[in-house]
Amino acid sequence: MKILESMLSKNNQNHISLGLFFVLAILPVAAAFSYAVLYSFGVVGIANEGFTLRFWKDVLSKGEFIQSFGYSAAISAVSMVISIGLALYLTVIFHKDFKNRILSFIAYLPLSLPGVVAAFFGVQVLSKSGFFSRISYNLGWTKDLSGFPDLINDQFALGIIFTFVSIVSPFFLLLFLSIFENEKIDELRKLANSLGANRRQSIWKVEIPILLHKSKKLISLYFIFLMGAYEIPLILGREAPQMLSVLIVRDLKQYDLTLISEGYVIAVIYSIVIGLLTYLIFSRQK
Amino acid sequence: MPKTRKVILLLYVVMIMFPFFYLFLLSLSAEWKFPDLSPNYFGLKNWEQIFSSQSGLGVSFITSLFISFFVALTTTSLGFYVSRYISYHPRRHTMSMLAYFPYVIAPVVFGACMIYFFLKMGLFGTLYGVILAQSFVAFPYALIFFTSFWGEKIQNYEQLVATLGGNVLQGFMKVTLPLAKGMLMICFFQTFLISWFEYGLTSVIGVGKVETLTIKVFLFIKESNFYFGALSCCLLILPPLVLIYFNKRYVFNKIL
Repeated sequence: MKILESMLSKNNQNHISLGLFFVLAILPVAAAFSYAVLYSFGVVGIANEGFTLRFWKDVLSKGEFIQSFGYSAAISAVSMVISIGLALYLTVIFHKDFKNRILSFIAYLPLSLPGVVAAFFGVQVLSKSGFFSRISYNLGWTKDLSGFPDLINDQFALGIIFTFVSIVSPFFLLLFLSIFENEKIDELRKLANSLGANRRQSIWKVEIPILLHKSKKLISLYFIFLMGAYEIPLILGREAPQMLSVLIVRDLKQYDLTLISEGYVIAVIYSIVIGLLTYLIFSRQK
Repeated sequence: MPKTRKVILLLYVVMIMFPFFYLFLLSLSAEWKFPDLSPNYFGLKNWEQIFSSQSGLGVSFITSLFISFFVALTTTSLGFYVSRYISYHPRRHTMSMLAYFPYVIAPVVFGACMIYFFLKMGLFGTLYGVILAQSFVAFPYALIFFTSFWGEKIQNYEQLVATLGGNVLQGFMKVTLPLAKGMLMICFFQTFLISWFEYGLTSVIGVGKVETLTIKVFLFIKESNFYFGALSCCLLILPPLVLIYFNKRYVFNKIL
């Protein structure tokens, strides 16, 4: 009887767990995605009159989405390459120094900066009236505000990339330092050296390949996160082209009701691409 | 070579410390016009205004604290409970992957696509709406976080308790919970920070009516009130800094 009671209670617990998993993890995504799909085809929505492919054709013909997608991917890729390069350099050269208690504490500090604070700081130092511009003026390098180059809301997204790097590289530095320790890379390096490898060879053939191999899943996921970043490109980006999240939210908040449907088309394409990338990352790992 | 190494390391330390120093300095400043390198006023004037209605920062700080605490508490508890089921399920890989989706898709896009449902539930532009929306992002995180906890070792402990005559509740209270204490703390603070740092989702579901600190920073940027903006930033940075001081693992985890 007790065994039966325990089995029934376990069954109940499983049902509750499955229910919670469905309601909190699956249902919101499924509902949001279904609604976006229906809206993008004109099936739901105040101004929509029924199924149509018009919004999809409009989005694909305008090219704004493709441009925004390429722009987001390019900014994310450049930021990731710089951040990972910087983190690798600091790990390989200074991994012993970061064992120092104070230095280790300092290395963690950037993790306390949320995106919106990093963007705010970006405005404060990079804008035409910002800190660097003031230094440039006082050193006589520029004569007035207009003499200082556009480093935020600029053509090459320098402000966005600078801020992304300032947030991403400290994370990867800590990640690489922890891999360096866990994988005993220092000992592997010594082994490589005893087998005749010089310093350069041990860095390029042993240390960096292990660090990159062990973190490839996180690197891919971080790239996806950056592609969907919102507050930093919202504050530091230009009106056009815009990064994906900024473009989607802008369209969904439009007073022109047809543009809302187009916003949902972009949201659907973005979700499918991100979903596929996530699936690829996981299936490769399996 | 050692000298160059020292210089590079020093430069990196300066680069890390500079934002903290600059934001704190700006929060203590006023009338800092271009091209001055130092402010005309330097003092506690802005900090004294935290609880004034003009800045509204005190209310925002308490609102953010309440939202983050509530989100962290509920998602950590539920994530811990549900993760046990997921971890022992034959389709755990598929379920884990599905749990990643709400976490990987940009929260702001996710939120924007959910506006209709929040409107229908009467939660649009409300504190409860923001809490629920943030929970949809923090819960999958907690779920994925705890999947590494459950395994053969825990199962063996649970079976040992049952063999020795202990019931499910006793096994949970005396064995599982003490074993999971450290991870529960880390997950609590991580989900707290997910909520504390959240801007996009809060702005979309809260429509500016729920003024968390991140929303305040953005409002001050729009108003070009950089001194109060810097003050909001300092308040935003404070809790994570305290967490880093106590335990670095509260802010850095590789579960993503």
